[in-house]
Amino acid sequence: MAYKKKHANHEFELDLAPLLSVMVKLVPVLLLSSAFVQVMVIETDLPQAVKEAIQQQQENPTANIQLAIDSKSGFQVIIQKGQNQTVEKVPLKDGAWDLKGLHLALQKVKSKNPEVFRIEFSPSADVPYRDIVLMMDEARQSKDKKIKFPITDKKENRQVLTDFMFPDVVFTNVMDG
Amino acid sequence: MARRRKRYDVGHRGNTTFGLNITSMTDMFTILLVFLLQTYSTAEIQVSPDEGQSLPLSGAQTNPTLTLQVSLTKKDLKIEQRSIASLENQNFVKQDIDPNDSNFILPLFKELEKIAKEEEAKAKAAETDPTVKFNKGVVEGKIILKADSSFDYGTLRKVMYTASMAGFPKLKLATVIGE
Repeated sequence: MAYKKKHANHEFELDLAPLLSVMVKLVPVLLLSSAFVQVMVIETDLPQAVKEAIQQQQENPTANIQLAIDSKSGFQVIIQKGQNQTVEKVPLKDGAWDLKGLHLALQKVKSKNPEVFRIEFSPSADVPYRDIVLMMDEARQSKDKKIKFPITDKKENRQVLTDFMFPDVVFTNVMDG
Repeated sequence: MARRRKRYDVGHRGNTTFGLNITSMTDMFTILLVFLLQTYSTAEIQVSPDEGQSLPLSGAQTNPTLTLQVSLTKKDLKIEQRSIASLENQNFVKQDIDPNDSNFILPLFKELEKIAKEEEAKAKAAETDPTVKFNKGVVEGKIILKADSSFDYGTLRKVMYTASMAGFPKLKLATVIGE
């Protein structure tokens, strides 16, 4: 009986009113600064070594890589090294873009030319914009985390590995008539 | 004392006062708070799609920076919510296109050129008077293009071509997170 009495004294009700008033003030503040549709931009925010490698490539280009996109024939990756030109074809797969095939082809090209970060897109006029954005995603970064590409960090004079492939996209046929 | 007790009893029987149980309301607010904290954005500017506009999905994770926003919807082309040119069947109407160059959108060029000149003048004034504010992105030739994902590259190219002719060669394509 004595035990019961002791425990009855320990019961109390938590006053949640101050907590609630804080929340009521916080919710409108967060509602105003919330982004329910998060819009991002396709741009390159790159590590310093990669930025330097891009700059060096722009000053002294060793290879020029172009991606021709055609809705009837698929992709053509054209690699121009001095006088030599090689072409890698990725045809359509069941009438649709073979994005996986494109990614693998670009990985192969990148492993042969790790110093090149720029790719020139040349899509035909009937290619949908949403597909171009997907192709840019395929070209930007290696999706396989195990595959990395070596570049030389000239400041520290050592090799650095990066998963960036071709983050610098230029639309070359914009000025064409 | 007897009088006071009588009054109390009457009140108690009528049941006019009661303690509000706010536990469930606090639970609800906690869930709401967590959700809002997740969607809280620290970006320099907020870019949102226009009415009826569906931006393409991308894995890009870069926040937009402060610069000029050009929006291409199925109905019109807008600069910062101001309609500049009209579209019909996903193509610009004839009167908005230069008769000598099928890729050149005349009203867009005029508007962009005007904005670029204004911001450059402000940037020059800011060199002597730091209180003058200008849009750095515009001076650097940057532009954010919000385009509906249903457009073909051919239509998009006209906007890109005109923008680069007006001194905006650095294009940023607005996309929505997702893959």
